[in-house]
Amino acid sequence: MTLTIANLSAGYGRTNVLQDVTVSNIPPGAFVGLIGPNAAGKSTLFKTIAGLITPTKGTLTIAGEDVTQLGRKDRAKRVAYMPQAYGCNALLSVFESVLLALKQTTGWRVNNDNLDRVSDTLHALGLSHLANRGVADLSGGQAQMVAVAQTIVRAPDVILLDEPTSALDLHHQLSILTSVRNEMDRKKPVVMAALHDLNLAAKFCDRLVLLRDGAILADGKPEHILALPQIEETYRVLTDLERTQRNVLYVDARLAHQGTAGPTHH
Amino acid sequence: MTLNVDPVALRHAYVARVSRRYGVIAAVFGLLCLSFLLDITTGPGGYSLSTVAEVLFDPMSHGARLKVIVWDYRLPVAVTAVLVGALLAVAGAQMQTILNNPLAEPFTLGVSAAASFGASLAIVLGISVIPAVGPLLVTVNAFVFALCTCGFILLATRLKGVGSETMILFGIAIFFTFSALLALMQYMASEDQIARIVFWMMGSLSRASWEKIGLGTILLCFAIPFSLYRTWPMTALRMGEATAQSMGVDVGRLRVEMLICISLLAATAVSFVGTVGFVGLVGPHIARMLVGEDQRYFVPLSALVGALVLSLTSLISKTITPGIIYPIGIITSLIGVPIFISIILSSRRERLQ
Repeated sequence: MTLTIANLSAGYGRTNVLQDVTVSNIPPGAFVGLIGPNAAGKSTLFKTIAGLITPTKGTLTIAGEDVTQLGRKDRAKRVAYMPQAYGCNALLSVFESVLLALKQTTGWRVNNDNLDRVSDTLHALGLSHLANRGVADLSGGQAQMVAVAQTIVRAPDVILLDEPTSALDLHHQLSILTSVRNEMDRKKPVVMAALHDLNLAAKFCDRLVLLRDGAILADGKPEHILALPQIEETYRVLTDLERTQRNVLYVDARLAHQGTAGPTHH
Repeated sequence: MTLNVDPVALRHAYVARVSRRYGVIAAVFGLLCLSFLLDITTGPGGYSLSTVAEVLFDPMSHGARLKVIVWDYRLPVAVTAVLVGALLAVAGAQMQTILNNPLAEPFTLGVSAAASFGASLAIVLGISVIPAVGPLLVTVNAFVFALCTCGFILLATRLKGVGSETMILFGIAIFFTFSALLALMQYMASEDQIARIVFWMMGSLSRASWEKIGLGTILLCFAIPFSLYRTWPMTALRMGEATAQSMGVDVGRLRVEMLICISLLAATAVSFVGTVGFVGLVGPHIARMLVGEDQRYFVPLSALVGALVLSLTSLISKTITPGIIYPIGIITSLIGVPIFISIILSSRRERLQ
């Protein structure tokens, strides 16, 4: 179902973080990459869409329906938000934690249908072998995959992934995003992911939104967005020469700090 | 990494795990029944199990003397042990989840110390915080102070920058404050009053009465279903606050609701029997090791293990020296402290069963 964010402003207390954010007509099955420097307001935008922050202004519609009026649980059923990864020490199995994500937003009793849905989700994401493992015993990458499973199992209209690949090596970054893409082909949710790696963003996203200082700088197809001068300005991609100069400065500073003339011995 | 089990097998594995958990719960329940029966049978007089059982089913079958011993003395004590054990363990289990701290329980958070001070206030000065309570003065005072301490903890959790470690430090601060005030009371007290205070603080089941049992049962009958009703949000909270919120849990409201429920449980238990430390720690800890933290199994099993621990303690208190019943508070602390230390030392690497 189509997601539209219109004139959204939000923040914490008196500080306004998002200013008039509009991203219109995200069609079902679209993968939108949210890019921008740290503190651009990416997490705030996700939290506002997920209903954890009440917007001061603006509307959010899924298939024409205003979702800001929905209760927390109903909202979480429609919009599944994966927060940035923190460890947890719960004594729960992976299966239980995914079942939990499903049951928290649906009725109390666990039925066979619920169990099938959890099993299918774990299977589809290639996590079956971890099903009986404790969530506290997972590696960073596995934990992130399980967090993704917790959003997908709810079969929501919108999935928000806040830096889903931050703790992963390249192989796992690719596998997590490929899994998400495959799931999208089956159920057609809107997926928005905050990504730091522009190469990944270009490879997986249908559309990129560049956020900076709480406002949208650009919005469009990846090939168009990545060619913009603002990208270079925002990310300040260093040339080889600049990098070398910076290293030299760094070494100089260290030597000066240690007060020795020669290179240090290890 | 490539070993991908098919979905049907996953489902079966989960169902098998759930039935194993029911098995564990049933086994602990069986042990509790056994311990309860032994508790009634044991004591000065040395009546056989069959005699006691007959009196239980037909009070007058062995004369009025035995009826009084079983029905008015042993049964209230045994039932209170089970009830208070369950109350303390459920309170401990919920505190640990809400505060995200495995060391939280009524004793470590200073609730027991506050109750002791309330009791001493009644014993020494005869001051009642609620007027016209008559013979229940000591119990009511203890209850009110315990409840106020829980209220303070509730407020403290809402302060900015108060983490789960800070809560235990708050508990220590509360504990020392009330210990000092208690010492003041003792300084002012007569010898007879000091004896009463000390006896109160040691925690004893001899203050059992059917009225208290009735009240405690009502509370437990409310608290366990309520905990079960909130099982999914509470389990979600174990995944971390951010994750719980993202799953649609109103974390702030859940904390307040649960803390009110816990406060009533803890204050009631402590005001009934005095200071009984570590049951709220041992019960949930053992339950967690047996069934993990899915609250649907964790909370009921915590209650059962807590009840079992206190019932066994009651049994031990009678059997160490025949003819003498030791205060249970002393025994629970002796058993509880090694477990307390083991929790601190273990790096929370417990394995799922």
